[in-house]
Amino acid sequence: MESDTQRIALGLRQGDVVVLETLVEQYQYRLVRYLVSLLGRRDGVDDFVQETWLRVLERGGSYDGNSRFEPWLFRVARNIALDAMRKRPMFSLDSNEGDGVRSSPASGEPSPYTLAARTLDAERLAHSLQTLEPVYRETLVLRFQEDLSLQEISVIVGAPVSTVASRIYRGLATLRPQFEGETA
Amino acid sequence: MNIDHHESFQRMIDESLAGAISAKKEQSLREHLSTCAPCKEYLSASNRVIVGLSGFSFEVNPTLNARVLAALRLQAEQVRETLAHDSGTMRQHTVQFKNWAAFAVALSMSFVGSALVYQMVKRLAVPMHFDTAQVQAGVLVFWIMPSFCSALRLLAAPGENRGIA
Repeated sequence: MESDTQRIALGLRQGDVVVLETLVEQYQYRLVRYLVSLLGRRDGVDDFVQETWLRVLERGGSYDGNSRFEPWLFRVARNIALDAMRKRPMFSLDSNEGDGVRSSPASGEPSPYTLAARTLDAERLAHSLQTLEPVYRETLVLRFQEDLSLQEISVIVGAPVSTVASRIYRGLATLRPQFEGETA
Repeated sequence: MNIDHHESFQRMIDESLAGAISAKKEQSLREHLSTCAPCKEYLSASNRVIVGLSGFSFEVNPTLNARVLAALRLQAEQVRETLAHDSGTMRQHTVQFKNWAAFAVALSMSFVGSALVYQMVKRLAVPMHFDTAQVQAGVLVFWIMPSFCSALRLLAAPGENRGIA
């Protein structure tokens, strides 16, 4: 029996717009959330989202359907965002680990995390997340919001599994002190 | 219990949350957590970070989906048109190639046939007192030129409707 991923792969190979429309409906929010975590800002994300889906249409044949679709989609989005950021100095990027990115939030604007916080714990994390180095923020989001495995994250970010694990430990270590010494 | 001992288990907690812990270590960690308050506190704080990460809800621009879908449809249409154009161009090239191939075959047959006809006519012409120049002229006018013109017609014929025969 054909699996969902195989059906997606077949649809993408054929450039089937109906399959793409379904994928857009299904993954749009997660794509936005991932790109916000990568960029640390909300403006410009919509353009990257659109470009990502166009790239999916253009190069969908390279998705083989043997693994989940999300890691492949996030990798496409990441490549597009990194390429654009390298070309556009307006994003004020600075690499801190070779393959990572660092974005500077626009001055005076509330961070996307402050605007998006819906719980008390989230409100407490908002500022730390904004100032957290993007490579750690990205890894935490992929692991704990997107529920991806270390191997899947490793494919997306193009780093060894051990590096991904280290980023998760360091990201948690940065955010954890805010909740230490309290009863949950 | 010393600090190093806690650090070791707290490292295991990180590994467990990251999904990088072995079953054996997980069991050992579970046993330790049932008796160690500092490590339980460490786990609790870590879990609150993870729960906190789920407490963000980003607004998706309500027009974004429509914008993306319109761009996708437009691009898909352009891709289809490009493919159709490429396919038409390739078919045209194929027809041209077939025309030239047919011409080459017809021309070769014409030359070979001419040589054979010339030899035959020359033998017949001797008893009838025709000289060589007359035979050559006859073959040229009545065989080579008509066959060459037939070959040329293959090039001029609308490609898909003509055949070699």
